[in-house]
Amino acid sequence: MTFLRMFLATLKEIFDESAYERFCAREGVGANCKSYALFLHESDQTRQQKVRCC
Amino acid sequence: MKSGLRLLLWTAIALLGTLALATLALHRGEQINALWLVTAALCVYALGYRFYSKFIAAKVLALDPQRATPAERLENGRDFLPTNKWVVFGHHFAAIAGPGPLVGPVLAAQFGYLPGTLWILVGAVFGGCVQDFVILLFSVRRDGKSLTEMAREEIGRVGGLVAYGSVISILVILLAVCALIVVNALKQSPWGSFTIAMTIPIALLMGVYLRRLRPGRVLETSVIGFTLVLAAIWGGQWASQTPAVAKYFTLTAPGLAIAIMVYGFAASALPVWLLLAPRDYLSTFVKLGTIGLLALGIVAMHPTLHMPPLTRFIDGTGPIFAGKLFPFAFITIACGAISGFHSLISSGTTPKLIRRETEIRMVGYGAMLAESLVAVMATVAACVLEPGTYFAINSPAGIAGQLPEAAAHTISNWGFPVTAAGMQALAKSVGEQTLFNRTGGAPAFAVGMAHIFSGSLGGQALMALWYHFALMFEALFILTVLDAGTRVGRFMIQDGFGHLWKPLGRTSWYPSILTTSGIIVAAWGYFLWQGVRDPLGGINSLWPLFGIANQLLAAVALCVATTIIVKMHRAKYALVTLAPLTWLVTVTFTASWHKVLDSDPRIGFLAQARLLASAGGSARLIFNNRLDAVVTGVLVVMVTLILIESARQWLGVLSGKKEARVKEAPFVISRLAEEQG
Repeated sequence: MTFLRMFLATLKEIFDESAYERFCAREGVGANCKSYALFLHESDQTRQQKVRCC
Repeated sequence: MKSGLRLLLWTAIALLGTLALATLALHRGEQINALWLVTAALCVYALGYRFYSKFIAAKVLALDPQRATPAERLENGRDFLPTNKWVVFGHHFAAIAGPGPLVGPVLAAQFGYLPGTLWILVGAVFGGCVQDFVILLFSVRRDGKSLTEMAREEIGRVGGLVAYGSVISILVILLAVCALIVVNALKQSPWGSFTIAMTIPIALLMGVYLRRLRPGRVLETSVIGFTLVLAAIWGGQWASQTPAVAKYFTLTAPGLAIAIMVYGFAASALPVWLLLAPRDYLSTFVKLGTIGLLALGIVAMHPTLHMPPLTRFIDGTGPIFAGKLFPFAFITIACGAISGFHSLISSGTTPKLIRRETEIRMVGYGAMLAESLVAVMATVAACVLEPGTYFAINSPAGIAGQLPEAAAHTISNWGFPVTAAGMQALAKSVGEQTLFNRTGGAPAFAVGMAHIFSGSLGGQALMALWYHFALMFEALFILTVLDAGTRVGRFMIQDGFGHLWKPLGRTSWYPSILTTSGIIVAAWGYFLWQGVRDPLGGINSLWPLFGIANQLLAAVALCVATTIIVKMHRAKYALVTLAPLTWLVTVTFTASWHKVLDSDPRIGFLAQARLLASAGGSARLIFNNRLDAVVTGVLVVMVTLILIESARQWLGVLSGKKEARVKEAPFVISRLAEEQG
């Protein structure tokens, strides 16, 4: 059970779901199109410069 | 009692590892099970992690659980965030694992399974893992600074400039090589081209779905995207068998090269959320799933390796790339053993997520061991093929022969029997028109992977689907490296140009975006075009160039690491980074010398240019060879400069002429450590 929880948490971090949850909590907004657009805008610079290795 | 049991356990692991390695090394003339290779790898990794990384953590780096990391001190809920170590491990592994550990070992298998395997194991334990580990710690102790910034602060301005130049150079060569692998895998393959083409509308659809319908549901969207990709693989079969559709997807190498350049430019200039981010998610999803599946497939099927431990091509006459075992095996396999590119990730997002210093060992050293295991699996995938089949797929037409019969005859004469009819049957079983002259490593890996998968799931009936799944999986994440890399390159050029004229540095100003995207695509596009037009298949010249560039970047990272270790008054342990640095410099400088000055035209760029000139060859080809020689020379000069600057620092500190002052963030006691006692 702990393994599954950890596995899911890892996937949520890799796929930025946790980052979006943190954004919603920090800004006090719910998950919707508007807040997601704001989240994407905020993380745009980081996301654009994310290196993917060969 | 406990320590007695532990001693017994580690002795057993050491003995098992020795037995597995001896079995691999000493078997001659008999086929060997792939599980020996996996067992040897797992034992070596376990010993390396338990003993060597522990020694580095305790003695060399003195990891301090009481010291607050930047994730704790600068926590902002965005970039800086204390994160569970397993989560960071997964995050870091997903970022470092790319096509390199799959392609390099497949190409190096031309020497046999043994040299590549030994280099992967030794290189990872003593080189790659150490580099990732130390750079990650040093970045953590500098608030997550990048390699370039650390080089500038610890070695000086020259160090910073060389690091910047190395990163740009390796990026351009890497992207060209990645694109060439995709071109060689998809040329004349309507099934493969259709599948990959479909991933673009699928990614766009995912982008819109994610933004408009289910905001933030990335995992759900990735599952849908993955299902659509599977449907596209299935649809590819229909496309390849329907002449009216197939003709649009049966592309020549130059046609594919142009399409990939247009794609790279679009991916760099389009909004991130629309194409780049969904593709990245999709690629990561497929990557993690497939690597897991491949590991299970190898264990379930435990296939036999048909490749001998050593082939005759250790003498330098290999058809896939020319050059002797030393130094070429060691630059052919970079990712999987040691990759300079990892130092960019270890000094990128990962250091900002580390919760406690002591967790860096698992993330930095451990994730690289996992990547090394991926390289071992790629070796297995290549070596389960009959050697004749392996060489038929990977040998360029210019070496083996244009026609199937001629190529089969040449390869059989090398001592690796293969028939044109057998290759035709294999091509038919995987849904291709031909498998001859499919250089680049990806098709050979896909055939090997399909062989393993079809042996454990679905049998021969699904061989074609597994082959195209493997091809799609490789091409998908190669293209992800390509679009992410083009964007990163664009940012770096904008950053540099911004110093000359401020508006060019503005990352949201469209004229700047278009200009710099054009520059970076033109740079890698030039090398790609050169590879596509190369009568020797392109991989022969570009892959060694990429290997040299990547490992020279690792040399830059190890120079930075050694300098910091010396400044930390731990010079007596500097061999930990100095030994892999010395090895890398020896290997890459020797390889560069051969690539530039060797008198064999298949190896030396200048000899090839001379040969072409005397035979009245194309002026463009002559220029390209001279350009490759200049690029290699420039890389060597840059690394020589940073070596000299680093050595000046080391000698200055050791002789007491220079103050040993590291530029670390100030020590702050960790609240997390206090809470956890």
